[in-house]
Formats: sequence, C-alpha cells, structure tokens
Amino acid sequence: MATIEVDRDRCEGHGLCEQTAPEVYRLDDDGEVELLVGEVPPELLVTAEAGARVCPVAALRVRR
Amino acid sequence: MTRASSLRRVVVAGGSIAAVTAAEGLRLQGFDGDITLLAEEDHPPYSRVPLSKGILAGREALGSATLPPVAGDVTVRLGATAARLHEEHRRVVLADGEEVPYDGLVIATGARARRLAGPGQTGECVVRTRDDATRLAARLDTAGSVIVVGAGFLGMEIASTCAVLGKTVTVVDRDPPLRRLVGEWLADLVVQAARERGVEFALAPDGVQLLGRPEVQAVDCGDRIATADVIVSAVGDLPNTEWLADSRLPLHGGLVVDERCRVAPDIVAAGDVTVSRTHGGPYRRSPHWTSAVVQGQLAAAALVHGRETPLPRPDPYYWTEQFGLDIKISGEIPHGQPPTVLAGDPRQGSALLQWSLSDRPVAAVAINHRLPVVTLKRLGGRAAGPPVMP
Ligand SMILES: Cc1cc2nc3c(=O)[nH]c(=O)nc-3n(C[C@H](O)[C@H](O)[C@H](O)COP(=O)(O)OP(=O)(O)OC[C@H]3O[C@@H](n4cnc5c(N)ncnc54)[C@H](O)[C@@H]3O)c2cc1C
Ligand code: SF4
Repeated sequence: MATIEVDRDRCEGHGLCEQTAPEVYRLDDDGEVELLVGEVPPELLVTAEAGARVCPVAALRVRR
Repeated sequence: MTRASSLRRVVVAGGSIAAVTAAEGLRLQGFDGDITLLAEEDHPPYSRVPLSKGILAGREALGSATLPPVAGDVTVRLGATAARLHEEHRRVVLADGEEVPYDGLVIATGARARRLAGPGQTGECVVRTRDDATRLAARLDTAGSVIVVGAGFLGMEIASTCAVLGKTVTVVDRDPPLRRLVGEWLADLVVQAARERGVEFALAPDGVQLLGRPEVQAVDCGDRIATADVIVSAVGDLPNTEWLADSRLPLHGGLVVDERCRVAPDIVAAGDVTVSRTHGGPYRRSPHWTSAVVQGQLAAAALVHGRETPLPRPDPYYWTEQFGLDIKISGEIPHGQPPTVLAGDPRQGSALLQWSLSDRPVAAVAINHRLPVVTLKRLGGRAAGPPVMP
C-alpha cells in the first residue's frame, strides 16, 4: 500500500494539503502537518496525491 | 447532471501549479477521458515559491522544488508552446504548427516577468523561472553589490536573500516598499527589519531607467544614479495571453474569468493568467499560489459540471518570508490603521495580529507565529468551515 513521506524541515504550515485533502492531512495546533492515515487506502490514493501536489514547498511525497 | 459525456479530450495549456491542479482536479471530478498538458518549459512542473528564497540562497537544491509527478494517465508534453487558438475548430496550434484538438480547454499559461531593459540592453536579471534563478545565483557568486528594482513581495524576498548572502543591497521603487500590498504598519515593520540587515532603500517617484549598453550597470532613480554589480528587476509580471490575441476570448490585462473560472463555452482558465471582477468593479489579478490552486480545482469542476458547480467561499491567503520574518496573511489588510496584537510582540519579532473594520475582523497576520491556517483565516474574518472543494 502507498505511504506518505513528510519532509518536516520543509513544511511551512500553509495548510493547502489539508484544504485539498482533509481526509488525509491535518494541521495540528502548532501548524505542523499531521497525517491522518498511516498507509493510504486505495480509495484515498488520488486524494492524497492531490493534497501532496498543491504543497508550495513540495514537502509531501506519496510513495506507491 | 454532468456534461462529462460530451467531453472526451481535455487540453490544458500551461505547465505549472494551476495547470497540474486542474488536470488532477478533472480526475477527482470523475473525468476519465484524455488529458494533455502543453507546457512550454523543458523542466517538469515545479514550484516557483522557493526560487527567491531557499533556492536562491543556496540552502535548497533546484530539484527540490519539483512537484510530485503528474499521474501516469495524464500526457505531459514538455517544450510544447501554445501559439494560437482556433476556437471554432477547437484546436490549439503549437509553435511548430502542430494542431492539438480538444473538446474542453483549460488555459493556465500563467505570467512572465516584466522587464525594464530597452532594446539592445542585456544583463538585467529577473526571477520567474528555474533558469532565471540559476542565472542570478551564478551572477551573485562573483558580485559584491546588488540593486533590486521593485519593492513588492518578490523584490523584497530577493533583497533579503542577497543580504543573507552578504551582498550590499539597495532596493528601489517608485512607491514606499510593500505599502500598497500590506498597508503602512506592516510595511514599516518589515522595512525596519531590512534596514537592520543593512539594506538601503531609494525612492524614485517618477520611475527608474536602466543605464548601460549593452550590459546594464546602473539605475537612474531620478535624483541619483545607483550602480551595482548585479541589477535585478522585480517589477511585476505580465499574463501570458499573447497566444490568445487573435481569439475572441475576453482580455482585460489578463484573461477574464467568471466566478466559476469559465471563459467561454468549454473553455476555463486558472492562475496568474486570469483577471476577474466582482459586481462590475475593476478587473483584478490575484497572482498567488493559493489562488492558482483554488482556481485550478474550480476550473476543472466547472469544465465538467458547468453552472452547477458550487461556488467556493473566497478566503484569500498568502505569505512571504523575508528578513527573518515568516509572514502569513489572511484577508486584506486595511490601510492607515494599526492592528490589535492578539499574541506575542511585533517588536520581538513574533506576533499574531488582527485588523478590524467597524468591529468586524477583516484580516489576520501571523509573524513567526505557528498556528493552523484555518485558525488564521477565522481570525481574518473568513469562516473556517469545511474546505472549499467544489
Ligand atoms: C520567485 C517567486 C516566488 C513566489 N513566491 C510566492 C509565495 O511565497 N507565495 C505565494 O502565494 N505566491 C508566490 N509566488 C507566486 C506563485 O508562484 C504564482 O502565483 C504561481 O506560480 C501561479 O501559477 P500558474 O500556474 O498560474 O502560472 P505560472 O507559474 O506562471 O505557470 C505558467 C506555466 O505555463 C507555461 N506557459 C506559458 N505560456 C505558455 C504557452 N503559450 N504554451 C504552453 N505553456 C505555456 C509556463 O512555462 C509555465 O509552466 C511566487 C512567484 C515567483 C516567481
Ligand atoms: S501544504 Fe506543504 S507546507 Fe503546507 S502544511 Fe501541507 S505540507 Fe506543510
């Protein structure tokens, strides 16, 4: 199953991932991105990838 | 009811964030026909955002800005420049004459850097593309001094990076730095931080002229002439609409879109190429990353669902990083008014600020202050609510 890699040094907390794919990404109280799924279930794969793509600093990678 | 059945082939003109978001948005909307992306640059889609920041500073590798690859069922044609549009035959004509047919078209050709150099002048740097950033970084390697023309977000970010690199930096603009964008109060705070890092500012109310031929070497600021090893212009960008000039699509300093990003039947547009207006007001651009994303998603939905596409709630959000200040902005900051400090202390370099008009919050700003963006938007007067996916 697919997994998501987060580059925490790059993430700047702009929240576009969350806005696009709230089922997969969430910002915690410190504005740090948090993954709501460990492995990405197939039905969320496209959504997870869409959320990763809109990150302005390319901090997210979905590994199939 | 969807119109997806009459839509078999979608062409997306453009190769950056608005284009790839629209392509992906079409799939999320259930469109399963052909999608072809026509992208002028030879690099796979990347983010411009770090070009003036970590990449120019040399902290981040160029490749790190590359966006995750577009899904395999989208054909990405790099180096394919749209040169003309034949609306009546539904074809995009490429620079080499090839005609690419479509049933639906997404226009996301973005914008390019405006330049000041006249004919026969060379050496003016800009930062819009990967190649621009590479060129400027190479010039900075051997430079001691830099003039940045333009004190908007981009110019100030470039100045900040050059200061970090130890260059002597002068910023010139016809208006006081950043004021038009963020109002006096916040602009003054940033300029103060810039001055503390040795950056000098020059005001040229009548505009500037680049001097030197062929190589530009100086900037005529009206009351004085400034010289430097490198001259960078950050004087705004021009929407890439020339290829549409012969079409009947509405152009007003950009491609005019309606509130659902529609341009004409089966044609939508998104990102820096667009202008729009509300209630007959002036045409406005919103050349920021978040607008390109929101519009890309909306344009895709509108191409599939037409007028039944729900309207997103407007929630402007943008940011800048300069002079040690990480600034996130929600809403539009009113001019001539100080904010309420909700947390921190702006003089200590970290704060959460809010502006109100008639007791209603209209903007919120976080400076070196981490918080969830939805909270910032709520403080800026935008309903937090669910995301604005159509
Ligand atoms: C250095 C820099 C830093 C920035 N930093 C920030 C920031 O911190 N925060 C923020 O919110 N915004 C920032 N922005 C703005 C943000 O990057 C833009 O709003 C965003 O890139 C717009 O995306 P777009 O896809 O609409 O257009 P563009 O990024 O301009 O992309 C247009 C694409 O279309 C292609 N194209 C153009 N003409 C044709 C043609 N005729 N045929 C085929 N393809 C064509 C181009 O090659 C390009 O790939 C920054 C911009 C720059 C330049
Ligand atoms: S979009 Fe990118 S920068 Fe923003 S919160 Fe998500 S991972 Fe972090």
